[in-house]
Amino acid sequence: MDKNFQEEFTQIIKFKPPLYKQRHQFVKDLVEKYKPKKVADLGCADCSLLRMLKFCSCIEVLAGLDICANVMQENMHTLSPLPVDYLQPSERSLTVTLHHGSVAHKDPCMLGFDLVTCIELIEHLEEPELKKFPEVVFGFMAPSIVVISTPNSEFNPLLPGLMLYRHPDHKFEWNQAQFQSWALETARCYDYSVEFTGVGHPPEGMEKAGFCTQIGVFIRKYPRTGESVQSEKPTEAVYKTVFKAVYPSLKDEKYLQNAVISEVIFTAQIMKHRLMSKHQEYGDDPERKSKFQPSMDCFSDYLGKLVVEKNMEPFVSGNEVHIPLTTIFSFPKVNRLCGTFEKLCKLVAGKITLSSDGSAVIFNIEHE
Amino acid sequence: GLQVSTGLQDMSLRDRGGRRRDFHDFGINTRQAMVHVQESKTGFSGKMIKLTTNHFRLTSRPQWALYQYHVAYSPEMEARRLRSALLFQHEEHIGKTHAFDGSILFLPKKLENKVTELLSRTRNGEDVKITVTLTNELPPTSPTCLQFYNIIFRRLLKMLNLQQIGRNYYNPSDPVSIPNHRLMVWLGFASSILQYEENIMLCADVSHKVLRGETVLDTMHSLHSQVGEERFRDACAKELIGLIVLTKYNNKTYRIDDIDWDNNPKGTFRKSDGSEMTFLEYYKKQYNIEISDWMQPVLISQMKRKRGNIEGSVALIPELCSLTGLTDKMRNDFSMMKDLAIHTRLPPEQRQREIGRLLNYIQKDDNVQKELRNWGLSFDYKSVSFTGRVVQGEKIFQSGNMFDYNPQFADWTRETRGVPLIRAVPVDSWLLIYTRRNYDVANTLLQSLFKVTPSMGIRMNKPNMIEVDDRTEAYLRVLQQRVTPDTNIVFCILSSSRKDKYDAIKKYLCIDCPVPSQCVLARTLSKPQTIMTVATKIALQMNCKMGGELWSVEIPLKQVMIVGIDCYHDTVSGRQSIAGFVASLNATLTRWFSRCVVQSRGQELVDGIKACLQTALRNWSKWNKCLPSRIIVYRDGVGDGQLNTLVNYEVPQFLDCLKSIGTDYSPRLTVIVVKKRVGARFFAEIGGGLRNPPPGTVVDTVVTRPEWYDFFIVSQTVKNGCVAPTHYNVVYDTSQLKPDHVQRLTYKLCHMYYNWSGIIRVPAPCQYAHKLAFLVGQSIHREPNLMLSDRLYYL
Repeated sequence: MDKNFQEEFTQIIKFKPPLYKQRHQFVKDLVEKYKPKKVADLGCADCSLLRMLKFCSCIEVLAGLDICANVMQENMHTLSPLPVDYLQPSERSLTVTLHHGSVAHKDPCMLGFDLVTCIELIEHLEEPELKKFPEVVFGFMAPSIVVISTPNSEFNPLLPGLMLYRHPDHKFEWNQAQFQSWALETARCYDYSVEFTGVGHPPEGMEKAGFCTQIGVFIRKYPRTGESVQSEKPTEAVYKTVFKAVYPSLKDEKYLQNAVISEVIFTAQIMKHRLMSKHQEYGDDPERKSKFQPSMDCFSDYLGKLVVEKNMEPFVSGNEVHIPLTTIFSFPKVNRLCGTFEKLCKLVAGKITLSSDGSAVIFNIEHE
Repeated sequence: GLQVSTGLQDMSLRDRGGRRRDFHDFGINTRQAMVHVQESKTGFSGKMIKLTTNHFRLTSRPQWALYQYHVAYSPEMEARRLRSALLFQHEEHIGKTHAFDGSILFLPKKLENKVTELLSRTRNGEDVKITVTLTNELPPTSPTCLQFYNIIFRRLLKMLNLQQIGRNYYNPSDPVSIPNHRLMVWLGFASSILQYEENIMLCADVSHKVLRGETVLDTMHSLHSQVGEERFRDACAKELIGLIVLTKYNNKTYRIDDIDWDNNPKGTFRKSDGSEMTFLEYYKKQYNIEISDWMQPVLISQMKRKRGNIEGSVALIPELCSLTGLTDKMRNDFSMMKDLAIHTRLPPEQRQREIGRLLNYIQKDDNVQKELRNWGLSFDYKSVSFTGRVVQGEKIFQSGNMFDYNPQFADWTRETRGVPLIRAVPVDSWLLIYTRRNYDVANTLLQSLFKVTPSMGIRMNKPNMIEVDDRTEAYLRVLQQRVTPDTNIVFCILSSSRKDKYDAIKKYLCIDCPVPSQCVLARTLSKPQTIMTVATKIALQMNCKMGGELWSVEIPLKQVMIVGIDCYHDTVSGRQSIAGFVASLNATLTRWFSRCVVQSRGQELVDGIKACLQTALRNWSKWNKCLPSRIIVYRDGVGDGQLNTLVNYEVPQFLDCLKSIGTDYSPRLTVIVVKKRVGARFFAEIGGGLRNPPPGTVVDTVVTRPEWYDFFIVSQTVKNGCVAPTHYNVVYDTSQLKPDHVQRLTYKLCHMYYNWSGIIRVPAPCQYAHKLAFLVGQSIHREPNLMLSDRLYYL
């Protein structure tokens, strides 16, 4: 199902940005507005919508479902974490999963989602599937929000050279009244409210034709149901998982620890360097030493404002430079990573050379 | 069926569009022109040794062929994605296994008809006629097939969830982190599938990717805090330009070519549709990324290949880029390299085990196996074994003495200590320059030198001791005032490894006032327990710099001039390239003529090399009263995919140059391409385990290429990790020498590098050429004064 780009070629003349991008942008705006944590895209095809959504920082679980495994498999690697995701793990956790299966079947892996998108999906469904679809999505999955988009057949006369449907695989294309009555009936049946909108404005004077793509946004009217209801639901898995990627995250202790250690050592080295360069300038004059202040002359205010209290100052003792952990903790980046000073101490213990009382990072400067 | 379009696009099987460099140097058949190696290119001397390697046979079904089809559309369809979508509406016809790049289709099976016509319909109802025509039936060994295997193999690595960085694939799930240096090491694989002597094989080697847990912006901040405002931009340029970065939002690598300090994330750029947008808006809109520092500069990366050969550049935001690889500064950081080596230097057994792991992944993964099966391909999961030869160790001669040494260690430092040198140059008049702080160090050094030099036969007078301030200008002033035409050598003790001081001294003494010089860090001389060893090494080095000779090996060839060439590519200052050119002057190969070519933009390096060869011949004839009857060129610094240029352009230039010497002069010429960075590794099966093969191991079968006259030599030893063989490819040879003799001579030359009393990885002239090019590229940036050219002043 290469619906996205085919449309791009026929309609790029008419829509800017291309219509599929407008649909994706619509979903993205919705995500920005409602900040869902778990989002599923039904009929995800080449995964292009998922690829865009993975950059939305509110989303922690992203799932795709399609009836065609091949098209997902061809593109699934684009949903893998990037090298940089491993190098600089994000604060949020993110899991991306792709399932092979039909929207006419219920699978427990689709439970608990906040937003379910069905972009240009329903017109590909055969009659029996379309019949089961509302029960699966609204009855079983029952997310807070459902977005359904589908072609508006009233717009078709405006598309040059279009014979019957916009894609050979389309089983039907509805006009506005057809879509709206189906949607209203579905909403009523499953206790949702629905609002209609669309993307792809008609040309001037043809406003009656409506949007090229019609969209219904369904909002669940009742609050999230508790465990009791879910337990009644079938638990047998019918979808086949074809792809799963767990993104490195600072929520994972392993990555957090690595990040903290690296940041602590980095910060301590900057402080050491400054201390040493002051030393070289002034010699070992103790009078001057106390005048050490971290200089804030970076080309932007990177280290943030920090107040160096007397007992937090780094100092040289023999061949060792001591950088107190309290000082390091006052740096915004370290602070943000650890949250509490205790957490910092816990994470670096045994991983970084500390003074005997564990209060400072120690560098040996003998060989420098 | 998996579509390999991404790979196909990269490799470009067709000729049109941006052509990717052929890294494997396919289709350059140099052996066919050399009659004497048609039958056999193997040597015979030495003891047999059982070896295994990291090569694995690729096998295909009997009668296997790859079917190549041309796909045409009527009406013509431009977009590649549309073309493939229309074609694959007919999967029931063409099958699920296919590779298609938009015009060429590869299938593992033959379609019923030579020409198949298919009808597809676009979504605006337009009917498109697709004509699929069989153009080729490719046997497993055809060059196109080889490219195809490599594409399929990359596809398999991707299926194994390995991450592509640059040319290789890495496993991100189990990184080694080295927090002290903010480094992360990923283990991965470098692989290629090639036609070797008898089989098509996969060569798989372990590759380590050093990644840095910091963004370019972080690096800039720490540089800022280190060097201060004044030198900040220079420091950034020095540290960052030439490095490869990864971005936060896609899986591409970019090389930093420039830093645009006048731009920042608030700046705008033109999108492909012509509209303008700020970087801030773009990254927010496209990737939901908020750039936090709005004052940072913008990095520029030049795009080498682009459709229609238009060169373009990409702007990158430092905050969104992560650094990969090591900088020169890091490479010089001993403790960092030591920490890294623990993880990257795998001993033979472990290396082979890691490689086995990759093969195991391939064998165990269902999807990968299915894909291979569909194409009718499979691998031998056991690596190839064969026998190599260990040639006899070379004896070292020094002033009438002959030395045997333990060939296992490939080092004769101990054996030759305190023995007179072949030619010891007296040090009658010399300067010793030091700062006040290093007065004691200077004296200790002097006493030690006086102790070690007499036994070497070096006569050494008291130097002119000069104390200077620790400033570059102070050093230069002393040099200007005190260096006289009689000065044999200038000795400077430096208190820090500050490069500018070193550079200034070298520049002055190599260009303006050509006198050999020796710079040593005070720290090197400060340890009493090592001072005698250090002084011995320094005395030897000084002697070479003044034109002395240390030792020799037996060279059976007469009237031969050996040439070594290596290149240095300066990535920082104006992208200069420098070729070092070193040619022997005497029969014992103990004296060398050295020149270099500094290539400015748009100029070909080879023109300069031609001029070097001319002067080298002139000097050789001055020394030997005749012209050499044989010239053997060892050419290092030829990158992957550059062999074609070398064979078709550089070699003819050499011949041209020889012709220009005189009509009756026609020496025998041999040109050998030396390659240090090769994927092949050899392991000796000793006592049931795998060890590094001993120095002198020669491999000229099984893993060499049938279309080349090539061989491998393991000449050096390594303390940790796996020894890397050096690949020698004789691309031109009218010498009539037997392969065995060429191999032996090559190995002998690896004994002749005077800065190391042991065997090295490459023939000495290549290493000299490298040293020279490096000094010029790093410090001098101009061709040094020719007065120095008969000495190894750059050691």
